[in-house]
Amino acid sequence: MDDSRPIFVQIAELIENDIIAGALPEESQVPSTNEFAAFHRINPATAGKGVNVLVDDGILYKKRGIGMFVASGARDRLVAKRRDQFQNEFIAPLMVEAEKLGIGETQLIDMIRKEGTA
Amino acid sequence: MSAVVEVSHLTRRFGETTAVDDVSFSVQKNTIHGLLGRNGAGKTTLMQLLTGQDFATRGEIRIFGEHPVENSGVLKNVCFIKESQRYPDDFKPRHVFTSAPWFFPNWDAALAERLIADFRLPLNRRIKKLSRGQLSAIGVIVGLASRAPLTFFDEPYLGLDAVARQIFYDRLLEDFGEHPRTVILSTHLIDEVSNLLEHVLVIDEGKLLIDQDAETLRGSATTVVGTRQGVDSFVVGREVLHREGIGGLASVTVGRLTPQDRARATEMGLELSPVSLQQLVVRLTGSSQTALEQSA
Amino acid sequence: MSTLTQPTIDEARIDRPGGASNILAVVRLHLVNRYSVFAVPWMIMGGIFVVNVAIWWIIFSSISSEADRADARDGLEFSGALFYIFVYMLVLGIQAVAFTFPFALGFSVTRRDFWLGSALTFIGLSAVYSAGLTVLAAIEVATDGWGLGGSMFATFYFGGADASWIERFGLYFAAYLFFYFVGAAIATIYQRWRNNGMLVLFGTLALLLVAGIALASFTSSWPSVWAWFGSNGPSGVIAWSLVPTAIAAITGYFILRRATPKN
Repeated sequence: MDDSRPIFVQIAELIENDIIAGALPEESQVPSTNEFAAFHRINPATAGKGVNVLVDDGILYKKRGIGMFVASGARDRLVAKRRDQFQNEFIAPLMVEAEKLGIGETQLIDMIRKEGTA
Repeated sequence: MSAVVEVSHLTRRFGETTAVDDVSFSVQKNTIHGLLGRNGAGKTTLMQLLTGQDFATRGEIRIFGEHPVENSGVLKNVCFIKESQRYPDDFKPRHVFTSAPWFFPNWDAALAERLIADFRLPLNRRIKKLSRGQLSAIGVIVGLASRAPLTFFDEPYLGLDAVARQIFYDRLLEDFGEHPRTVILSTHLIDEVSNLLEHVLVIDEGKLLIDQDAETLRGSATTVVGTRQGVDSFVVGREVLHREGIGGLASVTVGRLTPQDRARATEMGLELSPVSLQQLVVRLTGSSQTALEQSA
Repeated sequence: MSTLTQPTIDEARIDRPGGASNILAVVRLHLVNRYSVFAVPWMIMGGIFVVNVAIWWIIFSSISSEADRADARDGLEFSGALFYIFVYMLVLGIQAVAFTFPFALGFSVTRRDFWLGSALTFIGLSAVYSAGLTVLAAIEVATDGWGLGGSMFATFYFGGADASWIERFGLYFAAYLFFYFVGAAIATIYQRWRNNGMLVLFGTLALLLVAGIALASFTSSWPSVWAWFGSNGPSGVIAWSLVPTAIAAITGYFILRRATPKN
């Protein structure tokens, strides 16, 4: 956990990562808030808040008396959301910086290719 | 949510010294509260007042809606083993655990046994002869196994090694998850417990400095590092919590920054680093005086 | 906020009747270490007894004439050996408040329940120990001083060899209560006012003693003082000790009600 951001946000991200990576497949049961809390050594209420963020987003859903499950289609939606984020958080600043340094489009693509083969 | 503890304008004086100074706050049910502050800040006195062990000079205390002093109905629901708890001279740990269920209606003997094994506590050695860590373990075991609806832990880890402390934190979270209750944890090992806390109370020289949700507190302060000139122009008009510097470099801790603030700082070539809860408390209670002087 | 329904701790139950069950719990707390409550006092007594038997044996084996022997027997009637055991009770009374009180508060006991439970414990233990001493005194009388002509239990202070068992029991009982409660009451003063309390207490006692002596001397009333002791006899004086015992029990309660355990 890093100190700059609320823990519940970080917990929500960790669960999202597990869903994207396939560690938590769709329609599978996710650990309880208490298990999350114990595993990450955080306050259960905070863990619950993180889980609730995902419930509100429709990524997780509750089955009464049984527990919490990954919604179907959750992975695709998360990947799409992360792609948007990638665009905003990495590509946009990349373009700004490239323009500042006078790196043209072809040159930029070359640099990305080179990075890919390395 | 309902308040388990309600305190208003609580003051406790001992002669000339004011151990608790006009403190008001409330504690919501089934939360883990951190009561943080330096040694002698008034943490233990405050807890003694809340548990009816000490008497207020002024102000009001309500525990479960009632006065705690000499109120056995309220106290039955409270567990407070002090850091410096005294035990009968001839007692061995087993006497403590034998008698505890007579006083705590929710006592869980199986949990106590498990914790005794976890902490490798010898049951048949005189308490007088136990190490500091073993003494702390007794308090931790009573606090957890009593399952009191309002449980206080006063510096529960003194003398406990890193492994034992981790056991304490893990068991606390585990049991809290299964049996929610209100926990007030007094400590100055803030880094170790900051993730466990839902709410934070910081007390210094008897005064309540912070009464804040832990998540709100997280990221509420940032340290800005860079050239003195750059930092100075950035922090103009902001609340400065702490300031230090060497040569032409300055490091200043300021309050919450907006994303725009952050972007501007980056543009100015300043480095931003998050301030942990522990650092924040140190800044607020340790060198607040110097910070004030320097920023003045 | 939780993913599963959780069993929760029972709501805080404020209406739980305190009173008797809490007081009883305090009694059990005092008695939880059976060894030090029941074994140690009798071991101390046994130790004192063995030393006394040795002394009797030395005395009587070194005396040859019958007259001297009778003298020695009369002298042993005044043996104060038993008082050591009462001093131990004074210490237990002090410890009950000095150590068990702070601990009991940690166990969320009220001061009221602690004091009442402690008083009940003192009374119960005094009865048990007194019964033991009464039996030993009966044996002592029946065996003509353990076959040696010694005297430790049926001494002059507890009614002598001719006292009835009930009289002896009552005197032992009063003596035990006195030491328990006085010890506990002194310790409450320490809990409440620390060293200053001790200074004031012993200063006041010393002053009262000096004042009493002065008063008796200046008013030339020593004869009537001695007459009072003489007419009451040692048993009477012990019986009168119930008055300071009761005062200690009552003042101890009120002092403790506002005491805070500190370190």
